[in-house]
Amino acid sequence: MKEVHKIVRQSGKRRIIIANSATSIDESNKNDVVVDGSHFGRNVGEMAFNAKIRGMIGNDAGKGLDNSCIAGLKVLDEHGVPAAAVSNMSAIIGDGTSTYEEGEISAVNEAAKKLGITVGMSAKEAADKMFEGA
Amino acid sequence: MDEPFLGEKKVVKQSGKARLIIVDTTSDVRKDNDTDVIVTGSHGGKVGGDYLSKLNVKGVISNDAGIGKNNAGIASLKVLEEHGIPSATVSSMSSYIGNGTSTYEQGKISAANEVAKKLGITVGMAAKEAADRMFEALTQKAK
Repeated sequence: MKEVHKIVRQSGKRRIIIANSATSIDESNKNDVVVDGSHFGRNVGEMAFNAKIRGMIGNDAGKGLDNSCIAGLKVLDEHGVPAAAVSNMSAIIGDGTSTYEEGEISAVNEAAKKLGITVGMSAKEAADKMFEGA
Repeated sequence: MDEPFLGEKKVVKQSGKARLIIVDTTSDVRKDNDTDVIVTGSHGGKVGGDYLSKLNVKGVISNDAGIGKNNAGIASLKVLEEHGIPSATVSSMSSYIGNGTSTYEQGKISAANEVAKKLGITVGMAAKEAADRMFEALTQKAK
């Protein structure tokens, strides 16, 4: 059963969408900025890349062993896709709306930095920057 | 139509219909896993607990995702407990999140629900041993 995504911002074909699970992202999310409740491990980065999303914000899950919980940031960076994670102390993991409404950025990849996204920024502002960014 | 699997689904042990299986993501667990103990690379948040209790799996080990705000990373333990399903999490500092094999091979238990505790599963135990205890309890029940 596929999760129904919430659309929080839209302009033409460009959208910001919210998902609880990164596994619900597919090719119908091409060019979307995705804000989700999942950890940002390597497998999530690969899923996001395969779906050709525009940008992504997930949960840092405490970063974990060898920063494996945010390893997806690098996967996306290799393809120039902006990505960031929120601190697991700022938002409820598994809850995309919490990531969007309460999340505080704890890690960003190089592509996201180029859009002016910084650690400490609200997830909402970071999502807007991905949405507006070239 | 079934959705495609996103990761690997590995069967580690089998006895009759009961299996011990490993998945990288909880979303790869399906209806036909209702006789199985699941070791997953996913976090142990509420969303996974809701999904797995609906599928009536027979045991779950997931990643505690650093436990986090309001203990959200292990919130599924309680959900599963309410359904009588033994469940435990491994520390996110002991294994790679999103990698079910790492959960199983490297994971160290960081939290367990009451149903799991009754099987002798304790904090600090290897995930492998905890999974074995869940699997053995399941096969004992079937006898």
